[in-house]
Amino acid sequence: MKTLTKTLTVAAFGLLATASYADDDGRLEIRTVVQKEAKIEADDGTSRVELVAADAVVPGEEVIYTVTYTNVSAEPTDNIVISNPIPAQLTYVHGSAFGPGTTISFSVDGGQTYGSPETLVVVENGLERAATSADFTNIRWEVANVLTAGQRGFARFRARLN
Amino acid sequence: MPITCFLRRFRAASALAVLALPLFGPASANAAGTLAGTDISNTAVVTFDVAGTTLTRDSNTVTLTVAETLDVAVVVQSTQQSVDSGAVGQELLFTVTNTGNGSESFLLNFDNDFVADPGVDFNPVGQTPAIYFDTDGSGDFSAGDVAYNAGVNDPVLAADASVGILIVNDIPAGLVNGNIGRSALLATANTGSGAGGTAFAGQGTGGVDAVVGASGGTQTATGEYIVSEVTLNANKSASIADPFGGSQPVPGATITYTIAIDVASAGTAVGAVVRDAIPANTTYVANSLSLNGAALSDAADGDAGELDTATVPTVVVRLGDVTQASGTQTIQFDVVIL
Repeated sequence: MKTLTKTLTVAAFGLLATASYADDDGRLEIRTVVQKEAKIEADDGTSRVELVAADAVVPGEEVIYTVTYTNVSAEPTDNIVISNPIPAQLTYVHGSAFGPGTTISFSVDGGQTYGSPETLVVVENGLERAATSADFTNIRWEVANVLTAGQRGFARFRARLN
Repeated sequence: MPITCFLRRFRAASALAVLALPLFGPASANAAGTLAGTDISNTAVVTFDVAGTTLTRDSNTVTLTVAETLDVAVVVQSTQQSVDSGAVGQELLFTVTNTGNGSESFLLNFDNDFVADPGVDFNPVGQTPAIYFDTDGSGDFSAGDVAYNAGVNDPVLAADASVGILIVNDIPAGLVNGNIGRSALLATANTGSGAGGTAFAGQGTGGVDAVVGASGGTQTATGEYIVSEVTLNANKSASIADPFGGSQPVPGATITYTIAIDVASAGTAVGAVVRDAIPANTTYVANSLSLNGAALSDAADGDAGELDTATVPTVVVRLGDVTQASGTQTIQFDVVIL
């Protein structure tokens, strides 16, 4: 009898959550953009680097993916985890993953498992070796704190077109 | 949030990653990079907890399209060509490689005017036409090679593809040994060239943007001719030993041929080869071939000579690079009169 009650409670919570998710079109809004750096030359001879839309990207060029997440509900949101596959034609730029207030981990197996870079190993020609950033297939950002209503955060990484 | 706990689990799980890697390794890429026109999509996923339930949402999908890089490599394949003064139809072999990442056609030009450069003594004279495709892949100018006609049959190369190109020049008369002449091949991407990074919107393969790469979309390679006229003297003599102890050319008599070769001028006879057909009505005496007194086997093997029996039996001896300093090279072989 006790077990049954518990199951019912969980189910009720599940329904509630789904309902509220649908009502305010999601508690968390997530957007991703891809950009690249462009050197803008000014008339006075100075130049500055700006992020521009990655329209024409050629092999060897770096692009920057930025994932922005915003709590668009009135309630705090907990345990936010962002994960992003690194497209196969791109190579992660060493040390470029960034996200204020997040713990960043990487995967070398398509996102099945994650770990910090020094713990990851791959097998090449039957020999185990430490993974390099070129081996990373996915990146994951775990947001440490609760995201309160209206608060936003971002996660970012660079990758080079092969 | 129990981050420490999560990390420990990840570490333990890394052994699994080992087995799974081959499935998720980076996509194989060619030397020129990801092909122009490739769409690369990315969607981030976020999971979060609402009232104890974990929800998953996908972000919007962003797609970038790989632009075409305009890049070309021209490489001279011929080593310094030894030519005679006044020689006609002397070719240099080049390769043109599309080092960009999309299909591209290239305009070809040649330039022979280097006489103002230090160490250059003459300008070769390009034939009309002077640029040919090495159609038969021989590396030499030969009958099947198709002439290049600018704007008409510009080579269209896929990413990473190459084509062999010949420049065919005549060498002016009146030059002396050691004179140097140069001839250059220039290949330029037809879509555009210029400073690296120059963009041509919508003009790349399949309508993507084209961007000039590190080569500037154009490259030149220069080949070289050196005049090395060599006078080779060959003197052939015969001595006869008949079966009766005399020197009459009767059936059964053995003729010993001696070919003496020497360089009578400055310069180097590069890769000199002597071929001498066995006369009719005689047969070659097996294993009688020698060079400078050292026997050469009849088989085509590692040594400098053999009996070539493909058509008319012919003695072949490769002398290599011969100069005046090499001294007289003496080839001997025997035949028997039938």
